[in-house]
Amino acid sequence: MNRKARKKAIRENLSSYAFLVPWLLGFFIFTLYPMIYSLYLSFTDFNMLQPPKWIGLRNYFVMFVGNDQFPRDERFLNSLFVTFRFVFISVPLKLVFALAVAMLMNQRLRLIPFYRTLYYIPTLLGGSVAIAVLWRRLFAGDGVLNAILSGVFNVNNPPAWISNPKYALYTLILLSVWQFGSPMIIFLAGLKQIPQEYYEAASVDGAGKTRQFFAITLPSLSPIIFFNLIMQMISAFQSFTQAYIVSGGQGGPLDSTMFYSLYLYLKGFAFSEMGYASAMAWVLLVIIAALTALAFKGSGSLVSYGSGE
Amino acid sequence: MKRIGLVLFTLLMSATIVFAQSGSVTLRWAYWGSESRIKRSQQAIDLFMAANPGIAVNPEISGGTGDHFNKVDTQIAGGSGPDIVQMGGNISDYVKRGVLLPLDKYVGSVLNTSVIDPSAIESGTIDGHLYGVSTGVTMPALVYNKSLLQRVGAPLPKVSMTYPEFRAYLVSIKSRLPAGVYPMQDIGALSSNSTPFGYWTRYNGTPLYNAETNMTAVTSAAAQKYLELFKDYRDNGLVPPADIASGFAETNADTSMIIAGKAAIGFIWTNQLNGYQAATTDELGLIEFPGAAATKALWQAPSQFYTVNKYSKNPELAVKFINFLVNSPEAAKVLGNDRGASASSTARAAGSTNVNDQKVLEYLNSAGPHSSKETTHLPNDTEFNSTLFLIYQRVAFGQISPATGGQQIYDLITRLIKK
Amino acid sequence: MKNRTARRISAFLSNFIIIVLGVGMLYPVVWLIVASFKESNTIFSDPGLIPKSFTLQNYIQGWKGIGIIGFGTFFKNSFIICTLCVIANVIFCSLTAYAFARLRFAGKNFWFAVMMVTLMLPSHVTTIPRYIIFRSFGWIDTFLPLVVPKFFATDAFFIFLLVQFMRSLPKELDESAMIDGCGKFGIYTRIVMPLTTPALITTVLFTFLWTWDDFFNQLLYLNSPSKYTVPMGLRLFVDSSGMSSWGPMFAMSVLSLVPCFILFFSLQKYFVQGIITTGIKG
Repeated sequence: MNRKARKKAIRENLSSYAFLVPWLLGFFIFTLYPMIYSLYLSFTDFNMLQPPKWIGLRNYFVMFVGNDQFPRDERFLNSLFVTFRFVFISVPLKLVFALAVAMLMNQRLRLIPFYRTLYYIPTLLGGSVAIAVLWRRLFAGDGVLNAILSGVFNVNNPPAWISNPKYALYTLILLSVWQFGSPMIIFLAGLKQIPQEYYEAASVDGAGKTRQFFAITLPSLSPIIFFNLIMQMISAFQSFTQAYIVSGGQGGPLDSTMFYSLYLYLKGFAFSEMGYASAMAWVLLVIIAALTALAFKGSGSLVSYGSGE
Repeated sequence: MKRIGLVLFTLLMSATIVFAQSGSVTLRWAYWGSESRIKRSQQAIDLFMAANPGIAVNPEISGGTGDHFNKVDTQIAGGSGPDIVQMGGNISDYVKRGVLLPLDKYVGSVLNTSVIDPSAIESGTIDGHLYGVSTGVTMPALVYNKSLLQRVGAPLPKVSMTYPEFRAYLVSIKSRLPAGVYPMQDIGALSSNSTPFGYWTRYNGTPLYNAETNMTAVTSAAAQKYLELFKDYRDNGLVPPADIASGFAETNADTSMIIAGKAAIGFIWTNQLNGYQAATTDELGLIEFPGAAATKALWQAPSQFYTVNKYSKNPELAVKFINFLVNSPEAAKVLGNDRGASASSTARAAGSTNVNDQKVLEYLNSAGPHSSKETTHLPNDTEFNSTLFLIYQRVAFGQISPATGGQQIYDLITRLIKK
Repeated sequence: MKNRTARRISAFLSNFIIIVLGVGMLYPVVWLIVASFKESNTIFSDPGLIPKSFTLQNYIQGWKGIGIIGFGTFFKNSFIICTLCVIANVIFCSLTAYAFARLRFAGKNFWFAVMMVTLMLPSHVTTIPRYIIFRSFGWIDTFLPLVVPKFFATDAFFIFLLVQFMRSLPKELDESAMIDGCGKFGIYTRIVMPLTTPALITTVLFTFLWTWDDFFNQLLYLNSPSKYTVPMGLRLFVDSSGMSSWGPMFAMSVLSLVPCFILFFSLQKYFVQGIITTGIKG
């Protein structure tokens, strides 16, 4: 009896694992070795062209502590702060905006296909030069925003937003929020999956639109909101392209848009310190993993998976 | 079932991949460039392959230096670097890391250096060995917007000026330029700022780097003077304020203050003139950096090098191909001045009729006597650019004084030399 | 009657808000299109929306590509890569997601955490070891490094996405299907796949768009110009150290957006609310 049950459990396990085989193979063939190798590189001095030299914890030491011989890397700490600020401002804004537009786009209007495409354009253009040109035209010293500020609101000498160290990061946050297309699409897909009966039942009970939103839409959408939150956070920590195109790959002015990934890229490829870049990557991984774990812990009571689990 | 599908798929994929090698030996040639260079290079390849049956040359082309070196570095690190690699000013970093092949033993037999400008050969010689064959020469220059100046009725600049004359000229055109247009762009706030700085250190008699002694002649006081020079321009409205200036990173025509028509004078390398002129309807002209006539502080630099990967399996054929590219008249005819004005006398005889090429040639003729041997690049050149850019901005935005900035520049240089 | 008027007003307001917001969205694409019809030498010196000159030359020039290879070849290569990636991601990410979302097995939480961690390491630092792997397979200068990993569900983003969608399907569905004699694979193909159509459509869309734009990997693994892709081709129009063909670059940028628009426009109809039901009265 006991043996039979165990046998059954093993068979159950095996048949489940069968579905996981492609992913497991992929993980062991394509993903695991590069990850471990980069972890190894993080303890080395590696310029890509010569064999890596083992230097122990020095890369990490230079990042956070530093001494006279190996001074602390202030640009690293700065890039960390810049990125944190970017993540914590842009991600919530982007998610709220994406959800709001998704609700707007979930109506039955005749022109909806056209509108949806329209709203996806900024995302579709991604890191194109057109975006860089546009942003410069909007936020430069003689840009559209300042023309409005001085022309309509009589503001004297408004700053050159995009190239002023105080404001440059915020123009990039705005850019990131403006490219809200991907989470919007995922929200739309999520909205579609909410069974219509829920709303019908709520209507019968006399619940208004607002009540329906909080009683049905938000809870049913919570797994998707959670997904978007996690993935937007991960990608915001790694964001690279916007800063790269808008600042010409320099993270300027005054390193105010020097995102973590941009600095990592410069260190690794431009300054030929791939060991240091690897160490940076693993520090970022630990930060993201900690925040993600925290989110998964905290999501227990907030995210509901229907009648599923 | 799934696995069979996969195997089938893999087979299918491999079957569709064409191995288009006609000859028995294939050389891989990595370079960066855009359409016109690609076309010209392909013509040269075709000529070479026609003359050398059994050798195929496959170009591996990237759109710019950034892409090119990302790719080449990864290839070399992954053990499959190309045979022939186009290099820029960072050649010494690659020599130091031991990935380039010394070409000395091919000189005279496969590689004919006797017809090439001795200075060009010298520039490709590092630590006594020839590593790179120059593709042509280029020079740093100031570019001015001729049409803009004519439109506002301002005088055109003289080709050679002293610093006081230059400053007076900027002041004289300032009042004529419309609001928002500056006499000069802030060339220290460019991503390629180590060149203007390098010029200034030569002008000042404190060159950036001496490879033999592995030392710098720059002092913190000398660096401070550079920062003060531009602070004076900035305070007097001769260059834009810091926040405007840093809006133009100038890596390309799309972020150029000159192309945008916001500045009358800027900085380029002569080989960029063609590209810049193609991005604007205004006519551009070239003048020298101030003070070059008296100090010979300008220099001719190889615009690019052809180098051979140390791990190439066919080094001799690679050198043979390079020799063909730089010395053969038929290659010179199709390649033109695209990689800089050629340094080979047999190639130069082929000539060019392009208007911009003529302008460059004119400039090279007048500025040539005002130049001296190039200073070896500081080790870790890219990092120097990026960090100098940051320090310069700190001063420009008023975060630190020129004195502090000078000290930081000095510390940076000494750190990079030691690295 | 009154109700209908109110609904019309509300529809009008919705349209109005959407359009006002939409103008800002449209600007860059309009700029791009206008730029693609300008002479190269006026694009940045005169960046306004109303061109002083108009030319089709950019499209003619751009389609010729880089002289030795036409731009059509780049499109063909991009299409091949994208199509294969889409097929792979839809099948293998959903298979993996199904296991994580709806099957029970030992070590599930561990493997799920591992999968999440693979998303968190910036890809720049795994470039060299990945290159070494693909080189040892002899896959350099082929499409294989760009495509084959997708057949092993290496795109964890889509696994996690599909997991979230699959987990919110009612569990009762599996149980009733189990009673009807469906195995795990049957439940996957007959119940879970159809009910997660919106998420699968999202996977198709994003895989295509992101692969279409993925420049860095294509740069590293493709050497022969005849195998270059659209984003690589676009980069070859611009070289800061020499000549740049901005006009043809913008013209081909516009063309390269066309397949993306078509795909998006034809897929977005799958995101219409209210077609799906739980299938059970609850």
